[in-house]
Amino acid sequence: MGLVDAYLIPVVDGLAYGLLLFTVAAGLTVAFSVGGVLNLAHGSLYALGVYTAATLSDGTWTGLGLAVGVGTLAGAAGGGVLAAGVAPLAGRGHLAQALFTFGAALVVADGLTSLFGPDELPVTIPAGLGASAMIAGHRYPAYRLAVIAAAVVLAGACWLVAARTRVGARVRAAVDDPQMLACLGVNPRMVQAGVLAAAGGLAGLAGVLGAPIIGPGPGTADAVLLLSLLVVVLGGLGRVLGALVAAFVVGLIQTLGVTLAAGWAPFLLFAAMAAVLVARPARTAGGTA
Amino acid sequence: MSPHRMSPHRRRPWRLTAAVISLFVVVAAASGCGGKTSGADPGRVRIGFLASLSGTYQAVGTDMRDGFQLYLDTHGNRFGGRAVDLVVADEGDGGPTAVPAATKLIKSDRVVALAGLVGGGSVAGVVPLLTENKIPLVGANGRPELKDPTWVWTTSFMSVEPGAAIAQYVKEHVDGPVFAIGPDYQGGWDELKGFTDAYVKAGGKLANPDGKTVFTPFPQTSNFLPYFTQVRNSGAKAVYCFYAGRAAVDFVKQYRQSDIKDLPLYGAFLTEGSVLDAQGPAADGIFNVLNYSPDLDNAANRTFVAAWKARHDRSPTTFAMASFDAAAVLDKAIAGINGPLTPQAVNDAIGRLGPIDSPRGGWQFNHTTHAPVQKWYLRQVRTDGRALANVVVQDLATLGNSTDK
Repeated sequence: MGLVDAYLIPVVDGLAYGLLLFTVAAGLTVAFSVGGVLNLAHGSLYALGVYTAATLSDGTWTGLGLAVGVGTLAGAAGGGVLAAGVAPLAGRGHLAQALFTFGAALVVADGLTSLFGPDELPVTIPAGLGASAMIAGHRYPAYRLAVIAAAVVLAGACWLVAARTRVGARVRAAVDDPQMLACLGVNPRMVQAGVLAAAGGLAGLAGVLGAPIIGPGPGTADAVLLLSLLVVVLGGLGRVLGALVAAFVVGLIQTLGVTLAAGWAPFLLFAAMAAVLVARPARTAGGTA
Repeated sequence: MSPHRMSPHRRRPWRLTAAVISLFVVVAAASGCGGKTSGADPGRVRIGFLASLSGTYQAVGTDMRDGFQLYLDTHGNRFGGRAVDLVVADEGDGGPTAVPAATKLIKSDRVVALAGLVGGGSVAGVVPLLTENKIPLVGANGRPELKDPTWVWTTSFMSVEPGAAIAQYVKEHVDGPVFAIGPDYQGGWDELKGFTDAYVKAGGKLANPDGKTVFTPFPQTSNFLPYFTQVRNSGAKAVYCFYAGRAAVDFVKQYRQSDIKDLPLYGAFLTEGSVLDAQGPAADGIFNVLNYSPDLDNAANRTFVAAWKARHDRSPTTFAMASFDAAAVLDKAIAGINGPLTPQAVNDAIGRLGPIDSPRGGWQFNHTTHAPVQKWYLRQVRTDGRALANVVVQDLATLGNSTDK
């Protein structure tokens, strides 16, 4: 059996997983670099999207489309509420803000469990996506190929907004020099709130798209938060490109790494994080994108 | 750490980490205190019930509480003629939360016996407390083997048994090596060891590299596709696994969309309880082994299922059944006490119990292991009427006679 034959699926799967993680983690890392808010409720915004998908997606394309819309809005609204909540804490440093978002995460988790119950919920997707596709003679879930495509489109759109639009310029300015931005008549706080809401929307959307992969259940928010924090730390706090690379690394470690060295699977992710922190401490912990 | 002074930027993540950790401590400390005491009333008996009413195993814990309550509801809320005061407490995710809850039930509520407990880790954590205070526990879920089970009775099974029960069948029906895979924690080790030991003993060959079971990190594994690539590369002819909860849903759904979708899949638990709805059509055809099935044809089961369905809009699970039986054990034991009702008397009376008529069919305690001697069933997921259900295919082995503790 050829190497390609044996490891093609894990590599493709690593890409799918990595891109999904990137969609979640990009918002987290941008929100950190713009407002200094390490949003520990970010996983909960993903969970909002996941539960939206479980409720609204009924196997039709209309249902899925509706879930995408509602999930994005729910995530954005959640991000907006968080922004309003952390705004008065801005002068008190990261600790107060992180604690606030952590508290919000506990409240959302409890609310979701009371609303939807403690069980893992099924997520129905259109039959066309639920099938499996063949890649070079190997069976692979068609849905994950669609996730790859959707995530690439999303990442491209985000890059366009950041690099080519006035809004994107303001966000970048808020990262580099908030005082100067304020002098130009733009309130950096508003930019920060907008970024938190947009990041929330992205997380909510990722939740809807990722529901069949990391599905609805009591542990969803925690699992996603942990993986996103891992991506953000590996990529360097506040670095979007770094996060993209880190997301691929995390994705591939969880797929190819597991196939190649199953016995090491529990340690691979955190070993990678430790290695990166030791090898390049200055670049991972500080600076901006 | 570098010799020069750290910049504020670099210190930030560690301060956050410290904050998060201290918050966890606060949250953990905020759980249960208080309680009440009462003098012994000869017409009443106070029983403590512990199960996971929050956390990962909330679904199982709730099922167990409902099963126990169902017995009380259908038996006039009496054990051996005495009115039951049931004190329910939350086991949480395992030992760290279960031990304080059990301590409260024993010391403050002064219960005469404990019942319930979802996790094997919780049982292990609570055992010293039971021994010290001489309080019997009628456990209603799987548990690891114990050195001294004097005070611990189990109405469900030992964790190694499901795998041991199905191994011979798998050996006879699969032509070639079988791949064994399960979650990396005590329950997973026990469940898989039960299968691999019996399977190899029956002359079977594992497809796993080095003949060692593959254990997936628990609970964080949600993507099983890389493991399925491993299975395919190993040339296995079938897969045996044990998974429950979220992992069971992910495992089964991804299995049917992978390269190995047509390999026969055998499992313990895998499709039991609410996970079957979430798995949907992907679960169709899966073989699994259990000590109970809602479609078993006996009088006790028909009564049990009818009473359960009158209160819940789903079929009873093995968790609910075992907890129902835990109540039955306490009822019969307390009925058999002539003299003062003490924890010691309850423990002795449980030891004297003979066969117990149960929805799973008759069973009785093995007096060495304090676990049931019972029959195991092979079930297959099939469309039963409108919905998917686990349907009994045939009887497997009767296990529990061994004297290993």
